Amino acid sequence: LETLNFSFPAGSQEVLRKVQVGIVASGNLEVLLEPAANAYSQVRIRTSASGFGETWKALLQVFFDRHDVAACFEINDCGASPPVVLLRLEQALEESL
Amino acid sequence: MKGESFCERTARERARVLLDQGTFRELLDPFARLESPHLPPQGIVPQSDDGVVVARGSIRSKEALVVSVEGGFQGGSIGEVGGAKIAGALEMALRDSARGRPVISVLVLDTAGIRLQEANLGILVLSEIHSAIVELREYVPVVGVIAGKIGCFGGMGIAAALCSLLIGTEIGRLGLNGPEVIEQEAGIAEFDATDRQLIWKIMGCRRRMEIGQIDLLVQDSDSALAETIAEYCEKTWLEPGARVPRTRQIESQLKKISDYPILQRIPEKLSPSARTSVNSRGLLWFQALTENSGVTPEAKSVLAADLQWGGESVRATVVVPNVVARFPRARDGQVGIEEGWEIARLVREAMTADEGKEKRALLAIVDAPGQAFGINEEILGLHQSLAAAVDAYATARRAGHPTVALIVGKAISGAFLAHGLQCGQILAINDEDIEVHVMSEASVARITRRSPEEITSLANLVRATARDIRSFASLGAVDQLVNCDDSHPIDAHCVATVRSKILQAICEIRLFPRDPKMRLDSPASQESRKMSLVVRKALEAEWG
Repeated sequence: LETLNFSFPAGSQEVLRKVQVGIVASGNLEVLLEPAANAYSQVRIRTSASGFGETWKALLQVFFDRHDVAACFEINDCGASPPVVLLRLEQALEESL
Repeated sequence: MKGESFCERTARERARVLLDQGTFRELLDPFARLESPHLPPQGIVPQSDDGVVVARGSIRSKEALVVSVEGGFQGGSIGEVGGAKIAGALEMALRDSARGRPVISVLVLDTAGIRLQEANLGILVLSEIHSAIVELREYVPVVGVIAGKIGCFGGMGIAAALCSLLIGTEIGRLGLNGPEVIEQEAGIAEFDATDRQLIWKIMGCRRRMEIGQIDLLVQDSDSALAETIAEYCEKTWLEPGARVPRTRQIESQLKKISDYPILQRIPEKLSPSARTSVNSRGLLWFQALTENSGVTPEAKSVLAADLQWGGESVRATVVVPNVVARFPRARDGQVGIEEGWEIARLVREAMTADEGKEKRALLAIVDAPGQAFGINEEILGLHQSLAAAVDAYATARRAGHPTVALIVGKAISGAFLAHGLQCGQILAINDEDIEVHVMSEASVARITRRSPEEITSLANLVRATARDIRSFASLGAVDQLVNCDDSHPIDAHCVATVRSKILQAICEIRLFPRDPKMRLDSPASQESRKMSLVVRKALEAEWG
């Protein structure tokens, strides 16, 4: 189990509600999304696949480039592939607006 | 959502579709952040709801509770937090129902049973879940739905058998021991866990329906399941006791079992169970405590004796090895298909005899290496047999029979749930050789994909996974550890000590009746079962 923390400057779009999507099952992940507490969009990841810090960073950069949001994310990951992660993040965001 | 697959949904969605539209209100939702504190130290990523969704709402405008287990997370296994959510919710429904505010309760089951990584915390909470269902179903319908790919096994299979109505779907399976565990414990000749056809032929809900172990087989659709449950609840509303629960149909089940032609999977002479010498601490203690009061251990695996101790009448019961037992997998003292029903029969016999009189005490002497792992047992519904024993002890306890368990040997898994854990007090001999656990080390290694060495080192980290009696006592589960300097051979002094402790326990229970959840009041639980207490408190606050 590896824990990773990232933060990105908060965007202009605020989220309206807390959202939970996904399940911590093999190849899947759970995302909890909440309004940002401060000027940063913070992301905490706990993952069963260690050593992918750079991949996560790049992936989150893609997400925050695409969406100008202010939100905190908590991710419980059970070895999901990058497309699955991106899909879950998008799903969480969509449900929070 | 009409016509959509219910089984494909997540636990949260399943709870939502069973409640009247717009009434779903989740208690202790993911943002309550009540996750398992025991998984991360073992390198396992936790889930924010610990795999259990508790929701309130209504079913056809009547107050309802839906508890839904997520099979996708850790096989729907029941750990401390998830288990406390289930038990706590049922306890709240019971509180309200007993006060004249009935709460229909639905359990959506997609679970492999106790979470091996939280072991003895799981077995304790399962005993609390069982106790709550037995009591709650006297007030309101308690409906079980087996709705996912995992099915429903282990201690939760017992819980399913206790429900007032049990609904299955084609995809679901029901049993006590999962196929992999049977293969591990009894060998591939007994059960091939890769043979999917065999698994569904024996454990599939369709088969369980055909032999009367579930009540209804319903098409896998939201509307079909929601309507079936609503109609049943409407029909049996406030008359939940109209039918005899299957766990009380003892005579007919014992008849079915005696008529059943046993499949011999392994040649008799090779069977590892076919031993001739009997080395049973349970038998030794039973003989010592009953002073061999006229029982013949030959050809019987459940022994019982009625004793007069001072002014107390006590019925002592023990499961012992029986080399000529009909079922080969239950010859080493396991609680098998015959044993579970026989325990239930003995307990209920005492209840009937004592009706309107002083209720005799029931003493469960516990030394069982586990439930029986075998194909015959699963075919006949071992989960039901153990549920019958659970039901009998829980009902006797509530009727005013003081119930005491005395652990003298192994207290493992389903055997302990059936014979011991429903008792008001648990005593144990303080001895290195005593073992309390949910599964053998070999099976734990196989299911959790860890080496036996890793499992041993985890026991030091997470005390609930340790197997010794002192670790179990540290969970607040043992009312008294009795010191016997040299317990084999059992000397007269030691027997006298144990007897006086049992009498003391009986006396305490007569003054202050106890149930399994009261173990949480013990000083030891305050720290070692902290999350169980936190969850219940939070649930009560959100219950409304």
